[in-house]
Amino acid sequence: MPTISIHRKDLERLLGRRVTDKDVETWLPLVKGEVKEHDAATGEMRIELQDSNRPDLWCVEGIARQIRCKLNGRPGSYPYLSASKGRRDRVIVERGLESVRPFIGACKARGYRVTEEGLAQLIQTQEKLAEIFGRKRRTVSIGLYRLPPIAFPIHYGLADPEQTRFRPLGYNDRMSLREILEIHPKGLEYGALMAGHSRLPLLRDAKGQVLSFPPIINSRDIGEVQVGDSDLFIEVTGTDLRMVTLTVNLFAANLHDRGATIEPVDVLYPYKTAMGRTIRMPREFSRPRSIARAEVSAALGIELSTRELRACLLSYGYGVKTAGERPTVSLPAYRNDLMHPVDVIEDIAIARGYEAFPPVMPSTFTVGSLSRIEQLSDKARELMVGCGFQEIISNILSSRADLVDRMRLSAEQPESQVVEIENVLSLSGDSLRQWILPSLLRVEAGSGRSFYPHRLFEVGETAQPDPGADTGSRTEVRLGALLAHAEANFSEAHSFLDLLCFYLGKPYHLEPVAHPSFLDGRVGQIQCEGQPAGLIGELHPEVLERWQIGMPCSMFELALSALL
Amino acid sequence: MTDVAALAESLHPHEVKVLNALEAAPRLEGVTEEVLAASAGLDVAQVGAALGRLQVKGLVSVLSEATKQIVSLTETGKQYVRQGSPMSRIIAALRSRGDTGNAASLTIKDLETREGLEAGELSTAIGELKKENVIRIASGGFVELTGTSSSSTAQSLQRLLETCRDGIHLLSEFNAAEQALIDRFSQKRGKSIEPFRIDERKERLYALTDAGRTVLQKLHTVSAEGISSGESGTPLAKPEILRGQLTPDILKDGSWRKEKFRKYTIGLKPARIPAGKKHPYREFLDLVKAKLVSMGFEEMRGGLVENEFWNMDALFMPQFHPARDIHDVYFVKDPQYSAPIPEALLARVRQTHERGWKTGSSGWGYAFDPLRTRRLVLRSQGTAVSARTLAANPKVPGKYFSIARCFRYDQVDATHASDFFQIEGIVLGVDINFRTLLGLLSLFAREVAQAQEIRFLPAYFPFTEPSVELHVRHRQLGWIELGGAGLFRPEVTQPLGVAVPVIAWGLGLDRMAMVALKIHDIRDLFTADLEMIRSKCVLY
Repeated sequence: MPTISIHRKDLERLLGRRVTDKDVETWLPLVKGEVKEHDAATGEMRIELQDSNRPDLWCVEGIARQIRCKLNGRPGSYPYLSASKGRRDRVIVERGLESVRPFIGACKARGYRVTEEGLAQLIQTQEKLAEIFGRKRRTVSIGLYRLPPIAFPIHYGLADPEQTRFRPLGYNDRMSLREILEIHPKGLEYGALMAGHSRLPLLRDAKGQVLSFPPIINSRDIGEVQVGDSDLFIEVTGTDLRMVTLTVNLFAANLHDRGATIEPVDVLYPYKTAMGRTIRMPREFSRPRSIARAEVSAALGIELSTRELRACLLSYGYGVKTAGERPTVSLPAYRNDLMHPVDVIEDIAIARGYEAFPPVMPSTFTVGSLSRIEQLSDKARELMVGCGFQEIISNILSSRADLVDRMRLSAEQPESQVVEIENVLSLSGDSLRQWILPSLLRVEAGSGRSFYPHRLFEVGETAQPDPGADTGSRTEVRLGALLAHAEANFSEAHSFLDLLCFYLGKPYHLEPVAHPSFLDGRVGQIQCEGQPAGLIGELHPEVLERWQIGMPCSMFELALSALL
Repeated sequence: MTDVAALAESLHPHEVKVLNALEAAPRLEGVTEEVLAASAGLDVAQVGAALGRLQVKGLVSVLSEATKQIVSLTETGKQYVRQGSPMSRIIAALRSRGDTGNAASLTIKDLETREGLEAGELSTAIGELKKENVIRIASGGFVELTGTSSSSTAQSLQRLLETCRDGIHLLSEFNAAEQALIDRFSQKRGKSIEPFRIDERKERLYALTDAGRTVLQKLHTVSAEGISSGESGTPLAKPEILRGQLTPDILKDGSWRKEKFRKYTIGLKPARIPAGKKHPYREFLDLVKAKLVSMGFEEMRGGLVENEFWNMDALFMPQFHPARDIHDVYFVKDPQYSAPIPEALLARVRQTHERGWKTGSSGWGYAFDPLRTRRLVLRSQGTAVSARTLAANPKVPGKYFSIARCFRYDQVDATHASDFFQIEGIVLGVDINFRTLLGLLSLFAREVAQAQEIRFLPAYFPFTEPSVELHVRHRQLGWIELGGAGLFRPEVTQPLGVAVPVIAWGLGLDRMAMVALKIHDIRDLFTADLEMIRSKCVLY
């Protein structure tokens, strides 16, 4: 979900009318946008766009375009898409790229003088598209250039990383491609995309000048668009031809909407592609689909006439070929997100406005209920509260240090097995808790200033490693209880356990065990119906020291899942 | 026996100390609790309790009461003291880059990764620095130092952070410019990642009343007489013995009839007792749970560890979806893979992803990796539980909910917890359509949030179409997003064997809970501070 920054003045220019706050509020649902911040003094708005399948909306031009469709009741016109045949400037692709970064698309935009705001928007769109839509430039990356210094045809080829040198953006000196990968921030950030290739992609013009080293960095000499430039060259490289096409179409539409004249460019491939060996971009590429009016009406719960249906589609930018019960619809060239008729159905609902659909209460009868484990948990919680215990809720993501080391568990202890995280983000969250007691000790350790006695409990989920389970672990609900005060001891904990088990109707007995978390001889395993179901004991002073707790503690922990 | 004598006798030793301390203090100005504590040699809490009782007895009065604003550092603030504020760090990073002979420029992304800054913190800091003309954004998205001046905001901020590191300060200690800066960078609703916190504290000044002075005199005489009584040979009148506690013994033998019982000062604040009670956040969740059951929803449960099949594939999230990235989901170390997915089910889901299967969809058009479906992750969305329910022959019509703990790969801060509850579920039925979806959401708004005004906005979720966000007018927060919902895509329901339309819904109630609990930091929902838990009284 990208958040972009736009200026109200810019939006007004693109819409050709004044825009009030009320207008913004009315229109933003059309693009699934939400104003996050608004600086009334500068007119800057930060807008979050929700739809990750609609990269055309991640820029002020796209937002304005969708609003214009609604205001005009029909899509805008993009004449360059149906431009006549004939010779165009070319990009020539060299052999070998099919296994490195196979696709490129390009176009020229003339006659739009780049303003400061326009440049900021161009860069923002370039970044958002390459980062989010292009998956950090893996599938799509974009280069913008000043057109005048470029001599056509352009060659998209492979180059030797040591021998090829040019001056990259952000630097004053010429660097080899290898140096760029090793030193340049963009090389460090995106270099991994080129790993394993001995020759690297390079874009050069007919005079041999380097335009860029896609997808890493542009040349500072040609590839630095500045305020005041009026003729631009746009190039998109990538690994997915449809995504490359969409991105070229999108930039073309944006610049067209700002007043530029778009000139398509032909790309000549030495290998086959899904669109042929010569591909002219920008181009129409959506597959028309037929939509049944009956299906739309059933899904939306409202009867739309054929006329209303057509009007909704047009006002959301669709092309509508045939009318009637099953119109054939096509997406505009700057979109590629139609997989199923439900996608069109949502657009129809948005075009019509969600407020135009009166809610209908669900009328079918169903019986509500809680799961058995939840019922047992609720009963146990109620008893613990009645016993004077304060309930706690803790994070389940915990640390091995807390769960195992601070509890004096050694590797031989079965409880030292925990579900561990591979991509650890912080050491305080490297494992899932396998028992509740450490969560309660964490509270005790942080609560020395709260008056005593402390009686704490938590009923919560834990993860028990289990090679026999489908997912390698079981989620077990456990009840942990902790007593902390000057006279806290085994018998007190035992009294509470006894009472709890009596009212839960679960007879139990205690079996002496050795357990390093507890004082020897003051710890027992709780057994229900002959099966281990938990632990009870007085905590070992060394455990308390490791938690920096200055109060004696006794506890019990019961696996509620085992009692079902 | 006079009132004065009775009062003097009723005094607790702490009360005597406080009275003495008050007598020693300047008479007209009054004294704070803290000063009294220091001179009486007691804790502030003990002094507070004693003052409370002395006021009830009419021996001490509040001379004046003023509200002071107290500045302290938040967790974020303490971090800024150690590491520098985002502004200083950006400048330092750019300078050190310049010093190594490179152009002093970095991209926003570089700054984010090198300095480990939140996107929000970073963009605010960049905005501030741009405003001060310390940096500019050059083409290519590079952040550069302008070199014209250094940031006075960053410097003042760092100085204030240093000043406040030792504890709390009065806002009035600072000059107007500093106060404005602290206010700008202090935690408020909707602005939780800030270094300062401003709290209001009532400061009261206490003084002896006339009665208090009389009682003190009495105390002094009694102790003087006590010392001199032996010499003068005049014994003190034997004080009458009053009984405190009624005991079983005197009840049994009837001797209580001869006793006189001491009169209590009943207006005193009682001693605190440890209560057994539910966790306030759990209390809130219980309420939601009860509401859902009353509306006919059946509870579903799922596992904390899930494979990618149920967490994402079954929900038609393509395997290249950004939310499946290593930076968004926690992966399990060992074992890495779950048992295989039942073959027929896997084949249907795979074909749906690739070419749409029989759902009428074009599919995502990529090569689906069957091994990837078995990769074990920590459940990242409650919808995984719904997906399993859909595949397990659910009731039609049927309504289901779960309150599921989910995990996101996010740096923990005031707005992101490492694990959190998601409340969500599904509704299946032949009569389900877009309008019944809106009907269900209206019901939630009324029943769960008691909201009168509601609004529906288009939304995006990878597995629903159409999708909608439910916004309600909250009496304290204004318009808030209460939940998201939609109709499951046929690409989700059909491969799982469900032929009827299905509503998928989720409620985001943490903000409502935080307002009810008066907390600003989401981490405090799971706080380890017992005093905080004990002190929350929540009326939903």
